Amino acid sequence: MKKGHDQGKHKYGMVIDLDKCTGCGTCMVACAAENNVSVRPDESDKQRSIAWMLLYKIDNGKEFPDTETSYFPRPCMHCDDNPPCVSVCPATATKIDYNTGIVSQIYTRCIGCRYCIAACPYHARTFNWWDGYFPKGKGLDRYLSPEVSPRMRGVVEKCSFCHHRLMRAKDQAYAEGRKELKEGEYITACAEACPAQAISFGDLNNPGHKVSRLSKSPFAFRILEKLGTNPKVYYLSTKDWVRKMADNYLPGEFKPVSKASASADKKTTLQGG
Amino acid sequence: MELSRRNFIKFVAGGAAGTALSPLPWKLTDDIAIWTQNWPWVPDPSTGEFTNVNSVCNLCPGGCGISVRKVDTRAVKIDGRTDYPVNPGGICPLGMGGLQLLYNKTIRYPGPMRRIGPKGKGEFVMITWDEALDILAKRISNLRKKGMPEAVAAVDGNQRMSTMSVMVERLLTSVGSPNYVTTPSIDDTYLISNLLLQGTDGPMSYDLENADYVLSFGCGLLEGWGAPGRVMNAWGLWHDSAGKTRAKIVQVESRASNTASKADRWVASRPGTDAALALGLAHVIIKNGLYNSRFINNFSFGFENWTSADGKDHVGFKSMVLDKYSPDQVAKITGLNPEDIVSLAKDFARAKAPIAIYGKGKDDLDGGVYECMAVHILNALVGNINKPGGVLINDPLPLSRLPEIKQDAIFKQGLGKPRIDQAGSLQYPFAGSLINNLTNKIIKSPKSPVDTILIFSANPVYTLPDGGAFKEALEKIPFVISFSPFRDETSYMADLVLPDHTYLEKMVDVVWPTGLQYPFYGLSKPVVEPLYNTRNSGDVIIELSKRIDSTVQSAFPWENFEGVLKARAKGLFKAGGLVTYDNMNPAWERKKYGNGSKHNYTSFEEMWTKIKAGGLWYQPVHGFDGWEGLFKTPDRKFEFFSKRVQLAVDEYAGKTTYKTALKNMGITVTGDQVCMPHYEAVSSDVNMSAYPLRMMPYEMINLASGWIPSPPFLYKTIFDNQLKGDLSFAAVNPKTATEYGLKQGDRVIIKSPAGEVEAGLSLSDGAMPGIVYLPLGFGHTAYDEFLRGKGVNPNEIIDAEKDPLSGHSVWWNTHVNLVRI
Repeated sequence: MKKGHDQGKHKYGMVIDLDKCTGCGTCMVACAAENNVSVRPDESDKQRSIAWMLLYKIDNGKEFPDTETSYFPRPCMHCDDNPPCVSVCPATATKIDYNTGIVSQIYTRCIGCRYCIAACPYHARTFNWWDGYFPKGKGLDRYLSPEVSPRMRGVVEKCSFCHHRLMRAKDQAYAEGRKELKEGEYITACAEACPAQAISFGDLNNPGHKVSRLSKSPFAFRILEKLGTNPKVYYLSTKDWVRKMADNYLPGEFKPVSKASASADKKTTLQGG
Repeated sequence: MELSRRNFIKFVAGGAAGTALSPLPWKLTDDIAIWTQNWPWVPDPSTGEFTNVNSVCNLCPGGCGISVRKVDTRAVKIDGRTDYPVNPGGICPLGMGGLQLLYNKTIRYPGPMRRIGPKGKGEFVMITWDEALDILAKRISNLRKKGMPEAVAAVDGNQRMSTMSVMVERLLTSVGSPNYVTTPSIDDTYLISNLLLQGTDGPMSYDLENADYVLSFGCGLLEGWGAPGRVMNAWGLWHDSAGKTRAKIVQVESRASNTASKADRWVASRPGTDAALALGLAHVIIKNGLYNSRFINNFSFGFENWTSADGKDHVGFKSMVLDKYSPDQVAKITGLNPEDIVSLAKDFARAKAPIAIYGKGKDDLDGGVYECMAVHILNALVGNINKPGGVLINDPLPLSRLPEIKQDAIFKQGLGKPRIDQAGSLQYPFAGSLINNLTNKIIKSPKSPVDTILIFSANPVYTLPDGGAFKEALEKIPFVISFSPFRDETSYMADLVLPDHTYLEKMVDVVWPTGLQYPFYGLSKPVVEPLYNTRNSGDVIIELSKRIDSTVQSAFPWENFEGVLKARAKGLFKAGGLVTYDNMNPAWERKKYGNGSKHNYTSFEEMWTKIKAGGLWYQPVHGFDGWEGLFKTPDRKFEFFSKRVQLAVDEYAGKTTYKTALKNMGITVTGDQVCMPHYEAVSSDVNMSAYPLRMMPYEMINLASGWIPSPPFLYKTIFDNQLKGDLSFAAVNPKTATEYGLKQGDRVIIKSPAGEVEAGLSLSDGAMPGIVYLPLGFGHTAYDEFLRGKGVNPNEIIDAEKDPLSGHSVWWNTHVNLVRI
């Protein structure tokens, strides 16, 4: 049943330029603040900590001073072809909308079986082991946004591409008598917050949008492409060692991008210590 | 019907099939999900009208524009502003998490407090503002009556030149005390360096966006140096292959920080050797004739050997550098390869718009003055001063001066006394304030020379790299007053807390973010009504002055703090600047004929209303690129040989001996080198066999380490090899760990002459062998369950040396030992 993928009107997607990404974590904080993500006193237990957007730190495995690190911001990939989480959900709590390409998560339908967490190859889903931490008298519930419902224990949550922002942008367009959104009217909180403008967001189906142009760059790639999930989150990096980390390659299988512009980015490190 | 086995199975199977075909199970799972989620304790955020309020972030001196989304009266989200020159759109993680500081009741003071428990415990009772102000006013006026106004001191953590900082200094001056000290900032180092080399008193202005080769000596470009929103935006521009501003970034730093890792080239030289490396690069540039001879010949002094008026021959900068800083000599000091030093120098000198910038991580600690000068010399050598992509020379922001203060007898008597911290004395002629000296004086005196200390926008107990000395000093000071809105470590030591509003509840100005290349003034405004019974410290100072006495009151003739802001802003009106920003016309883009610099107001009141609405005033980057009349040194030239240093040393030597003068100033060289930037190995009398390793604190953009606490959101971004549970981790090179028989995850005690802390060990190839790197920002003993007791604060074991010439603290050279637990 190959339904609607290309007939769907919009295919919202993201392109993250890892050369620009500074690893500052603003995307993570912006995401958590925008989406009422619970913060607990101990966030150092990464098995239990909830993050829709998660920053991974990677390195090239070399010794000082040739070691080099980079970062991977990882939202939900919003897989376009049969998202593994959607097909396993027994409660129909997660669906893909072929008109936008967004993979949704409906908390009130979720029965907390965590089948989707097991199915997701990107670790993009997290489970609420506790209710949100908003002790009485602390007043921290005062910053909660009414646009995203706070979750309770026992449900799974994940990145929604800030779906409520799409609703907001559509309302605005409707009020102005328009049916179509302009580029930039709907962007996710992480893309808006990124101080280095590393994250672009838009409609991959619209050739005029920056994301559709960037996603065709020779340096563009996606994580675990071989699985055939067709993620709508693309990455850009001119560094071979970074691109190589995105999938499991057999020896000799990885093909470096041979472009003149790539050589300009060759990094050198001086001996020291 | 008989219930046979067959029938029973039929019934069960049929029932199961029937139920499965009916909507019942699906309806039930759905309902169970809903029923089990409707608990009264799950918050249900109230809704209402959505609005956006524009303001300016004041959590660091960066001054990024923010837009706060509100639902009715509640603020629910902070976003960056695209119509703001400093940060076109983005902000940093700290600014993003600001609402958790505003709304977290348990880390804020609900009103004025008086201490009831022992110092440091944080036990207070709430009193009225009337009582609080009376207690403080009485204390100060009694000291004035006793003729010892100098026993009042203030620690000010507000940004240099901001109106709050002018107010605090003015309060001290009008009371008659010279003991106004500031918390450290790299701005102090910049000011001294600019004064000595250029004779200018403006802020350091790095034209980063227009540079095509950025040689950064330790600036944490991606760790929060300068205005993070601006610097990270520049980072995006530099790496935008479509843009024409593509630049090459080189980072000089011992650790693979984010900046070093993401830079095009990482130069891993030993910490504290920046001056040697810079002078080594100068050596190569001079030797290969790559310097700008027009600049050197016409606009500089002291490059070649010279003869003074008294007929004495002096060594020029060129001879000194050629003699002492060859690549081989520098390689020994820095640990780099000589060939790499040569190639780096050539790359730098051959770039179109190279800039050498100096810093130490974030900008909230001091740097070394000779180091900063040595780095800036590189810009002079290639003539990239006041040119696009270089270091610009600007006057200070044209704010009006406040009226002179009326002087009474007490005033003269108090201000006539020397500063306790000796800043500006013969020994420390260039320092504006030296908080470490104040601390030491208090600790060493049998009775504290300070009776009453006022602490504004600062948490020195936590932030000072002094091995816990400031806390010891506070224990000795009879009366401590904190103006912090937060329950921080310093206010826990206070006898009286007069809480300020947080930055989202008040109007306050941002004066020229660190490193920005064009004149900029930001103004925040109250985004929400004050949540608690707090007051703007500016207003409190005015009210306090009325209660002290009429002389002090006469120094504050304004009705409220906004009156003071307005009085200073008059100068901005005279200078003329823009009060709205169009992001198609970036402030850093040079326009030949001042495109877009026409302002849209006719009166001061109109300008002020517009500044209040937009939160900004700025002048686009100036197009001036000449060198005539630029330098204000005694020679009107860029001084490779600083005559100001010569004068200062001679004056001090006249009072004692030349040798003693140099020794007390911390200078180990003699002769003409003293007046030129040179490398000073940090001297230390520490027993190297007891403390064979060195500890350096490191900063992160995603963890606040200044007086503002981290919003809990930030802890989501901290990796579990930096903090796990209550244990923070020291990063150590695997080779060093092997030498000590240690492995990943071991618990160790890090011991320095100043104390010891316990940490986990995280092996990292990004760490230089022989150095222990501790993250800065953990180890709070105050605040709430989100921050308290998590990790350790490296400041507690820092054994600081003194920087030559300035007397600032050298916090990057603590000798330590590792002991496995």
